[in-house]
Amino acid sequence: MATTALPGRGYLEDDTPTVWSWVKAWLLTVDHKRIAILYLLSINFFFLLGGLAATVVRIELVTPQGDLLSSDLYNRAFTLHGIIMVFFFLIPVIPAVLGNFLVPLMIGARDLAFPRLNLLSWYLYMAGGIFALSAAVFGGVDTGWTFYTPFSSTYANSNVILTIAGAFIMGFSSIATGLNFIVTIHTMRAPGMTWFRLPLFIWASYATSLIIVLATPVVGITLLLLAIERLWGVGIFDPALGGDPVLFQHLFWFYSHPAVYIMILPGFGVISELIATFSRRRIFGYEFIAFSSMAIALLGFLVWGHHMFVSSQSVYAGLVFSFITMLVAIPSAIKVFNWTATLYKGSISYRTPMLYALGFIGLFVIGGLTGIFLGVVAIDIHVTDTYFVVAHFHYVMVGGTIMAYLGGLHFWWPKMTGRMYNEVWGGISALVIFVGFNMTFFPQFVLGYLGMPRRYHVYPQEFQVLHVLSSSGATVLAIGFIVPIIYLMFSLWKGKPAGNNPWEATGLEWQVSSPPPTHNFTRIPVVTSEAYAFPPEAAERDAASWRPGSPL
Amino acid sequence: MATTTQTTSAHHGDHGHAAHGPELQHHFETPAQQKEAATLGMWAFLVTEVMLFGGIFLAYAVYRWAFPDVWAEAAHHLNTPLGTVNTVVLLVSSLTVALAVNAAEHGRRTRLLQLLGVTLVLGVAFLGIKAFEYSEKFAHCAGYKTPIAWATGGELLGEQECLVPGRAFAFPAEHGAATEEHASTNKTPHQLFYLLYFIATGLHAVHMLIGLTIVSILTFLAWRGFFTPTYFTPVEIGGLYWHLIDVVWVFLFPLFYLVH
Amino acid sequence: MATSKHDTPGDAHGHQEPAHYDGHAHGHISVATYYRVFGALMLLMFLTVGAWWLEGVVAIPRLLGVIVALTIASTKTLLIVLFFMHIKVSSRMSQLYAAASLVGLLMLFIVIMGDYFARGWPPQLGPLP
Ligand code: HEM
Ligand SMILES: [Cu+2]
Repeated sequence: MATTALPGRGYLEDDTPTVWSWVKAWLLTVDHKRIAILYLLSINFFFLLGGLAATVVRIELVTPQGDLLSSDLYNRAFTLHGIIMVFFFLIPVIPAVLGNFLVPLMIGARDLAFPRLNLLSWYLYMAGGIFALSAAVFGGVDTGWTFYTPFSSTYANSNVILTIAGAFIMGFSSIATGLNFIVTIHTMRAPGMTWFRLPLFIWASYATSLIIVLATPVVGITLLLLAIERLWGVGIFDPALGGDPVLFQHLFWFYSHPAVYIMILPGFGVISELIATFSRRRIFGYEFIAFSSMAIALLGFLVWGHHMFVSSQSVYAGLVFSFITMLVAIPSAIKVFNWTATLYKGSISYRTPMLYALGFIGLFVIGGLTGIFLGVVAIDIHVTDTYFVVAHFHYVMVGGTIMAYLGGLHFWWPKMTGRMYNEVWGGISALVIFVGFNMTFFPQFVLGYLGMPRRYHVYPQEFQVLHVLSSSGATVLAIGFIVPIIYLMFSLWKGKPAGNNPWEATGLEWQVSSPPPTHNFTRIPVVTSEAYAFPPEAAERDAASWRPGSPL
Repeated sequence: MATTTQTTSAHHGDHGHAAHGPELQHHFETPAQQKEAATLGMWAFLVTEVMLFGGIFLAYAVYRWAFPDVWAEAAHHLNTPLGTVNTVVLLVSSLTVALAVNAAEHGRRTRLLQLLGVTLVLGVAFLGIKAFEYSEKFAHCAGYKTPIAWATGGELLGEQECLVPGRAFAFPAEHGAATEEHASTNKTPHQLFYLLYFIATGLHAVHMLIGLTIVSILTFLAWRGFFTPTYFTPVEIGGLYWHLIDVVWVFLFPLFYLVH
Repeated sequence: MATSKHDTPGDAHGHQEPAHYDGHAHGHISVATYYRVFGALMLLMFLTVGAWWLEGVVAIPRLLGVIVALTIASTKTLLIVLFFMHIKVSSRMSQLYAAASLVGLLMLFIVIMGDYFARGWPPQLGPLP
């Protein structure tokens, strides 16, 4: 039988005669790359919505009085912000957009193992999103994204059920993605693609998927139990029956602490790719980075009680949780050290993705270290439910996950679209985001330490300076997020054609055309070298092609 | 073996591979790879199912630990004989499913159909018995002795008893206890037991319904002669799902029906 | 030609699947075994109901009753998983995932029940010193 490799056509091209068939070709696609694009559009839409809610919150906080929103509306605004950002943006964003696009390409497969399940996951995501948004339309929710009982059960006066239905459905969407990644990475690697030749993004995605599969069902059943309590009027978290509301917190955080690693681990994976590529070096301590992802995935399951230090959890449990929280910082630190060691004597080029990567390292270090503060019971009791916690998790979630996402998006944008974005604007907006971010959230550490509680719409006069600083930082940050939308869209028709490998990166995804053909590889590649085998002359070539003013 | 790669076709059905059966999807290289993917995928999915039920079992453990006496009292009002029958029904169905996979593997279509058919009957029987147990509880709330009496307006229940959680919940006082305690027994941990009972068995019943749907589809496909000794993966992974439902029941049964 | 990879991180000399299809690459469970397993399951079921009945007649510590019931249920599960669900002859990865659900449950139970134990449960017991 002869090999008849038909010429590959870019996955973005269609030969659909009518608009309707074009719509169908997109909405019923099973191509992982197209699904990634569907996710890209919808997730970014949710990001903008969540940003809108945040804008409202920040505007309200400019003055100490509640002049824009009532306390009730304010509660609904920050809850909407939290729910959209956590469940519909941060958790799915990197796996569903970058992961969907890249996992098969990076391991040399034609698609994910279950393409139709993959499409289903997008529909579930949309369904969950519609539920959550409809709750907002019908008056909103005021429980905070954590849905603590009995706020959300006995004393709830808002659309708790619609919202948790949204989060519940969304959970199945991430389970579908995680399951697909696990199976794909196990069974569909190209010949020669051994575990230790996998790009680190794959390791990170695998660890993330493991967390998704083990933790998400628990929050699913927890939300279900909560919905039953709300619907039925009696429930198992109801103290009137002898039930324990703190059990809800246990079950919730059993998922939601691992969920913060669902957010950050794929980000770690992206950063490893960026750092290696733009330093032109084999990543330092590949195995350590790979295994630290797995260690985080496992240890991450044993620390959730650090969210419950003041919840009436036992002091002994608090001690143990505090200790394991310290332990889990070790693998995180290993990654940071290995990245910096990779930079050392690397041939560094400050392209936009690299700016994001460097920004990530700085911000994640601050976020992680303040996490350690919070992991110390004594400090945590002082700053529980203050802006210190808010600043901590924004440093890791925005400074970590979003920076990684944007860095990865810029890095793989040429691959996804076939076009280069404008490097100057890219660099500028990366810097604007970095500055705006720090302006927004650094003051919040101070605020929190001075005693400003979270989730209040009025505050004492003395905090106003810091709040105004934070709100003006948020304005800068918002500009930084909007500018990329403009120049990335613009690049679609004015951008330079990217070529197969604009960054001269290693990795199988760079060996196919940009945008990749529908089935990725006309011939399944055979892998013979490790992941970051940059030829020694790569750095020299970089240096030779440097011109004054060029972003290298 | 050479590979024909059709990079233009987005469909699974119409590809020109001649070296293997039509069931090999385009993105897999070999049938063995496809089968391993399906099996591993199912197992990973079963992990999520275990964790899903795990949450309920955890709540059960927490409350049984707190209220052992309540648990013993409350469990006595469940219908243990029917629960036992249901356990037998499910265990037999697990056997028939295991045998069905075996029959599919050996290409014995009639036997496969028979075994799947028996499984369907057993599954429906299980749900029927479960439904009877539920309706018994609801009939008691309505004041009748049995579901049939409830439907026909027959014999009334002597004492006040309602084991369905909710506002009407009333746990009958133990014999010899003061009768005026009736009202105050409403908000007690007994409700927790029955909440967990209804939630756990209800969720299990939902899984049974899904399982029955899967087995029906498998039966239909087997009837159409879809499975061959080289391709019966759907039967196998469908069977895995069925067995998991069985495993869940294996725990639910002693935890709810066999409590002292 | 391309062969698929099934090896786990640890097993470098992993069993390479033959490229051609082999209906049961990992071994086989016979019908006779299924019947024997089923017999054992039935036996265990009567044991657990019998133990429950016995507890109603003679005074046995409650904890012991729970342990017996759970041991029997776990044994039944083990039998079903090993034989009916073919884990005994499955690929190493499926075996690992089957075990993963146990690990997940253990994490959930040990940590949360540990907290209840230390916090004092039921509440009127009060916390540990
Ligand atoms: C270096 C590792 C980290 C440590 C030691 C750590 C520690 C902590 C601690 C102790 C708290 C509880 C504070 C309190 O409520 O009083 C906390 C809260 C939080 N952390 Fe982290 N954290 C780490 C990394 C992360 C990462 C990577 C993320 C997300 C990407 C994250 C997201 C959050 C969130 C969302 C909360 C607040 C939840 C809420 O109450 O709404 N953390 N962290
Ligand atoms: Cu945490």
